[in-house]
Amino acid sequence: MDKESEDWLEALRAEASVRDEALARLHSLLLRVARAEAGRRRGNLPPQTVAELGDLCMQAANDALEAVTRKLDSFQGLSRFTTWASKFVVLEISSRLRSHAWRDRRIDLSAATWEQLASSYLTADRALEQQEQKNLLREAMAQNLTDRQRMILTAVVMEEVPIDVLAERLGSSRGRLYKVLHDARSKLRRALVQDQQTEGLL
Amino acid sequence: MKSRLLERLLGTYSPDPGCEACFELLDQYAEAVLCGEDPVSRFPDVVTHIRQCEACREDTEGFLAVLRTNIFQSGK
Repeated sequence: MDKESEDWLEALRAEASVRDEALARLHSLLLRVARAEAGRRRGNLPPQTVAELGDLCMQAANDALEAVTRKLDSFQGLSRFTTWASKFVVLEISSRLRSHAWRDRRIDLSAATWEQLASSYLTADRALEQQEQKNLLREAMAQNLTDRQRMILTAVVMEEVPIDVLAERLGSSRGRLYKVLHDARSKLRRALVQDQQTEGLL
Repeated sequence: MKSRLLERLLGTYSPDPGCEACFELLDQYAEAVLCGEDPVSRFPDVVTHIRQCEACREDTEGFLAVLRTNIFQSGK
């Protein structure tokens, strides 16, 4: 482990006065990182999100500081401490920016919408020249996926809903939804590979 | 060649560790990238995941962008 990382760990595990000073320095660093990332993405954010960037950065730094202190014992020195700590605040601010940008947007998760979306999504793909292949893809989705798999695949892939935003709406986690998405993709590939007419797609 | 739209729909056959496992390695991955190492050989699963998961890709791009500013050295 490098000397600077050792110093951070020592300070964060020290007596109250030393620890408090280290926590303040760490919070300041995390806040700088959050502001840098928010600033980088500012041009792509809706006005209502830009208006609240200050608060969003502060919330991200606060939550990241809590995560870093909670997981301090898992830090093994495989990267610099500042790099390791910063990934928590990047995750926090990035998720907050996506969530805030989607705050007022409706996400239609009804079963009735998926086939319409699938149709327009596949039509937009110039590589899919044969109508037969498009039909087979739609059929594969209809026959091989569960309602939940179809809904999540439709929302994330076709409607481009960020997976953490969808997880928040469904009361789930990003990791759990990604597993559903991954399983749905695997089932679709398995179904298509058995069909010679779709062989060229894979 | 498979189109990007189809790749997003069907994914790839490569092993994908998922969001949490990718996050666990993100700091090591980022330092490797910044040192000019080949991330595909050292972190093949992370590379696969961030190609498949748009949220993790966006987070990783942001993380690398911040680290490239030398923000820890400059105190800015």
